[in-house]
Amino acid sequence: MGLHTLVNDIWTAGIVLQVILAVVLLFRQTWRVFPIFAAYAFFNLFEAAIAYSIYSVYGNKLAYFYVYWACEAISTILGFAVVYEVFGALFSTHQALRRLATNVFRTAVVILIILGIVVIYAQPQADRTAFGSAVMVVAEATRIVEVGLLMFLFLFSTAFGLHWRGQIFGIALGLGLFAAVDLVNVTLRSYFGNGATDILNFARVATFCLSVLMWTAYLAAPERVGVSSEVPERAQLEQWNQAVMELIHR
Amino acid sequence: MITVIVVALALCAVLLFYVAVRSRRKHATLAIRPVDLKAFRTLMDRDDELFLRAQLPRGKFFRLKRQRIRVTLGYVGRIAANASAVLRMTEASRQSAAPEVATAAAQVMELATQIRMQCLLAMGKLCFEYVVPSLQFTPAMLVPKYQSLRDNWSRLGQLQVQNRTPLASAI
Repeated sequence: MGLHTLVNDIWTAGIVLQVILAVVLLFRQTWRVFPIFAAYAFFNLFEAAIAYSIYSVYGNKLAYFYVYWACEAISTILGFAVVYEVFGALFSTHQALRRLATNVFRTAVVILIILGIVVIYAQPQADRTAFGSAVMVVAEATRIVEVGLLMFLFLFSTAFGLHWRGQIFGIALGLGLFAAVDLVNVTLRSYFGNGATDILNFARVATFCLSVLMWTAYLAAPERVGVSSEVPERAQLEQWNQAVMELIHR
Repeated sequence: MITVIVVALALCAVLLFYVAVRSRRKHATLAIRPVDLKAFRTLMDRDDELFLRAQLPRGKFFRLKRQRIRVTLGYVGRIAANASAVLRMTEASRQSAAPEVATAAAQVMELATQIRMQCLLAMGKLCFEYVVPSLQFTPAMLVPKYQSLRDNWSRLGQLQVQNRTPLASAI
């Protein structure tokens, strides 16, 4: 079985997985909690169905190209909205941090946009003028911003020891993994040209399937409640506590 | 060149996500670990440091100071981890229907957040002092805040139906 056939098979499997994700979103009513993520997931399913029918059923590659990139543009915008939804959910219970996080988040957005623009201008002139190459360069720049923002969220939450609830963690993780692999995909595609198309397509569709699986698993699983540590023996604690109090009030 | 940087950024992101998954599994159990504040204060004592500086040759003093910084970093890390565990434990109380419980929980969370910020600052300064041991820095502001967190946490425990006072002793 050739790599091209394998990519098509994984693509088909991805559509099935997205249908399962949509069912989970509907039946667990997760769309009420994460409406933007639900819109993102439903749109991806719609995109996959349309693109698959144009490519595999009708075999119109030119129409597929335009439909695919138009849908990708909308999907990327929704992806940014999902990042913001994750940000809102993560800091909803941490009012003390919210202002600081918002300021740092805005600064990160500006820095990443500048980095994206630098990446666009660092490409050879020929790559920016041909339509297909220009689309890839813009896709690369937007993925840089998306991956950077998700990295910011993970780094900031680690620095402040914030707890990610299961579902929001799953959404961020799946989106982050897919965006990071797609960033490598679009970057190397510009570098290698058509030579590595099949292997890059394989990596992209396989990672997308993995992300859909992650989303489905995290959204379907019940929210786990943290297990408190065992409290040390009371006598030992009182003894220790007394010593500390003496120290502090001396 | 730019291709290498972008690919490196993406790989860093994947590594970061992997670390986040591992860290999340590791912190599934809420663990409040005791902190020996007496030893912590002793480590921060500048008089001790001045005495050692006067008694020891420069090279030996720097080695010893770096050892003390490593241990102090361990204590700061433990306080930071405890503050993080308190943040998580208090999350549910913040949604409480009883306004006094919710208010107390909010206060505890705010204080725990401040401690996390101070820990970050303290870690940064300790690392700086590790690199340049002739500098002097004492993260002394951490101790009163931590004590204040313990008091607030105790008060929250008393307000709640379930008694969390033993945990307050633990931190």
